[in-house]
Amino acid sequence: MLSYRRRAFWAMTLLGLLLSFAGQAQNLAGRVVDAANATPLIGASVIWLGTNQATSTDANGHFTLAPAPAGQTAILVTYIGYKPDTVQVQGRSHLVVQLKSVTSIKEVTITGKQDRYSAMTPTNSQVITAKDLTKSACCNLAESFETNASVEVSTSDAVSGAKQIQMLGLDGAYTLMTTDNVPALRGLATPYRLNYLSGTYIEAIDIIKGTGSVLNGYESISGQVNVRLKDPEKSDRVFVNLYGNSLAKWDANVNTSFTLTPKLSTVLMLHTDQLSNRVDNNHDGFLDLPLGKHYNVFNKWKYNTGKQWVAELGIQALRETRIGGQVGYRSGMPQQEGSFYGTESETDRVSGFSKTSYTFKNKPYQSIGLILSGARHDFDSQYGTRPYKGFQNTGLANLIFQSAFGNTAHTYKTGLSYQYEDYQENLAGQRLKRQERVPGAFFEYIYQNSTNLTLVGGVRADHHNLYGWVYTPRFNVKYDFNPNSIVRVAAGKGFRVANPIAENVASLISNRAFFFQNDLQPEKAWNLGGSFTQYFEVGERKGAFITDYYYTTFQNQIVPDMYSSPYQVAFTNLNGRSFSKSFQAEVQYELTSMLDIKAAYKYFDVRTTYNGELLRRPFIPNHRAFLNLGFATPFDKWRADLTAQWFGKRLVPSMDHDMNHHETSIMTRTVSPYAVFNGQITRAFKRWEVYLGGENLLDYKQKNPIVGADNPFGQEFDASMVWAPVIGRVIYAGLRFTLK
Amino acid sequence: MKTLKIWMLSLVLTGLASFSFAQGGGKAEEVKIKTSAVCDMCKATIEKGLAYEKGVNKATLDVDSKVLTVSFNGQKTSVEKLRKAVNELGYDADDTKATPRAYDRLDGCCKKDAVH
Repeated sequence: MLSYRRRAFWAMTLLGLLLSFAGQAQNLAGRVVDAANATPLIGASVIWLGTNQATSTDANGHFTLAPAPAGQTAILVTYIGYKPDTVQVQGRSHLVVQLKSVTSIKEVTITGKQDRYSAMTPTNSQVITAKDLTKSACCNLAESFETNASVEVSTSDAVSGAKQIQMLGLDGAYTLMTTDNVPALRGLATPYRLNYLSGTYIEAIDIIKGTGSVLNGYESISGQVNVRLKDPEKSDRVFVNLYGNSLAKWDANVNTSFTLTPKLSTVLMLHTDQLSNRVDNNHDGFLDLPLGKHYNVFNKWKYNTGKQWVAELGIQALRETRIGGQVGYRSGMPQQEGSFYGTESETDRVSGFSKTSYTFKNKPYQSIGLILSGARHDFDSQYGTRPYKGFQNTGLANLIFQSAFGNTAHTYKTGLSYQYEDYQENLAGQRLKRQERVPGAFFEYIYQNSTNLTLVGGVRADHHNLYGWVYTPRFNVKYDFNPNSIVRVAAGKGFRVANPIAENVASLISNRAFFFQNDLQPEKAWNLGGSFTQYFEVGERKGAFITDYYYTTFQNQIVPDMYSSPYQVAFTNLNGRSFSKSFQAEVQYELTSMLDIKAAYKYFDVRTTYNGELLRRPFIPNHRAFLNLGFATPFDKWRADLTAQWFGKRLVPSMDHDMNHHETSIMTRTVSPYAVFNGQITRAFKRWEVYLGGENLLDYKQKNPIVGADNPFGQEFDASMVWAPVIGRVIYAGLRFTLK
Repeated sequence: MKTLKIWMLSLVLTGLASFSFAQGGGKAEEVKIKTSAVCDMCKATIEKGLAYEKGVNKATLDVDSKVLTVSFNGQKTSVEKLRKAVNELGYDADDTKATPRAYDRLDGCCKKDAVH
């Protein structure tokens, strides 16, 4: 018995040695095919992981790769428009690799833990994963960015509680927002748009710095935030999330998905949040955040033949009402001296999109896609004595054709687009109307050699009915010194027509007169920048170091000047220079198998010409720091997160008005640095998760966030001078239920 | 007197602790289940999924042999329940087949007929 075992052991060892010998001496041969229909992929790149030794597939998808130089056991297979795959060779000498298509129309599904800084994309991209999304409070998009260093979230004013994002030190309006890569929540929706998507609708968020691609129009200037909504094919059958916090605000979310036929699936997502408790913790007589009721429905359909056709359809409807202002204010009260000051708003919005794509038979690199989207946005509001109504109808059509020149090292995307916008605004009797009809065409060329270089050059030409031809060139270059050191360079132009009132709703909560220069022109800017990414391993633990620098310079900008005079806000074309310089350095490292750390430092220099003087933009601190500690026990049964954000000293307008000397200069003062801490603990069970967390744990608040709060109908009143949290510490708890 | 009380208490606590420990350890059983797992991602999915099953102490999948070794408390769960748990994650377990819905939702690379 024993001897038999021993003999078997030796035989196995010998066999193993022979096999590994054979594996090393032989070339690796194989074939790369499309996972959906098994057609060969021509010109796909195959490389020994971590080396420069590469080859590409021939006309039948076959490849032969010389033995790995240093005993590598895995190959990386990449192909434009497909999800790259790492394959363990495991001693085999022949293998077939299936790649899954990820053309711009179809989607990548990424779940669980992945590299937050992508090594593949030509742009400087980051992903906030589904897991990251559960790390912060619930349930709107603003909170999703809390554990991320690249996007800032700030409160716009002390009454509406609206949150805005900032990238590269620039206002959120310069960031293009897309859902499933379709431009969304543009124009008048901008001020409160982060509320309009619940965190529970979201699978993941992509953050792209710089102007990006020309495919989605000319608007993005500082970057793009793409929200990937839940995929009907992959969604859980039932998902429920309930949330409540110490201000007595509560949220409820229910998602449910059905697979109706093997090809047709749908997901229905519901969200509501409600606050009916009056909170005035800073005792200034004003609600710290408005009372609100919000109902939101999203329904998404997907039809996937598994072969050539994929179609998606999404419909959203929402209604949100808010009442803010003085504690004594009740809806509909007459607003005048001696009574209470109040703000009210009501948003009704319906929107929809559809995406259809056809991939050519036997040509998996060639596809054609049509994207259609439309929205109707109706906003009705009252700020003290000042009413504001905004109405917007939007329609967009985008036809994209994607193919290759000769082989797939040279691919291109080209197409036509048409955008329709109808804006009608009424600010206290002052009417603004605008209709835009913009046909356009675009072309993007992508060169990718099989190892380390990607070039993307794109240009679009649009004909705007009001402003004539608009040309938008954009370039991205990615070069890998080796698989762990990547440099990217981006340059591009952006163009957008500003909506001064909607983008400065905060200023309506004051008694400033709104003054518009005649002939406001569109905003135009160039953005240049680059990034360097270094992936590293210290003591077998992985980490990444990312640093980037972006310079944005405006040729024209609509400058909201609320600093030269405390009694008005004047919107003028830029007369002089306006720029932003942004630097960021970030380290991510897995300290132990249970503890991840992310630390970032950012420097901003943002200046604009006000009244002929180039001045620092108020409210934007030069220095910021960010620290996130993420702790998780094996299998994520317990998770804990702590995020700290530190903001350096900054200039804020000084409202101590002195008529004698403020002819041209903005009167400013410097406010001291502060830090905000957020934390959360989650316990997971098979189907349930419970979480408990706190925002602004140190209870840091701005003193007197509302200027002239004691006399809201007086001239000094202004709620837009906010630079720190208005709400103090908030403790929350919630639970999630999932039925897969 | 007080010291004595503390001593008594700690003695009782130690006794209780070791009793419960003995009980937990005494019922530990082990089973090997042949699965349809094909990759490291499958390993992560199965091991994580089983970690959330009642009565499971430890679950380890060997990707090459596709054998899942589960150590569990026989009073809280059974081999049938463990197989069912594996099926519901989208994988075959011995002779029981994967739940079709769960299998459909696996990533392409985790499907048993995926070409690797």
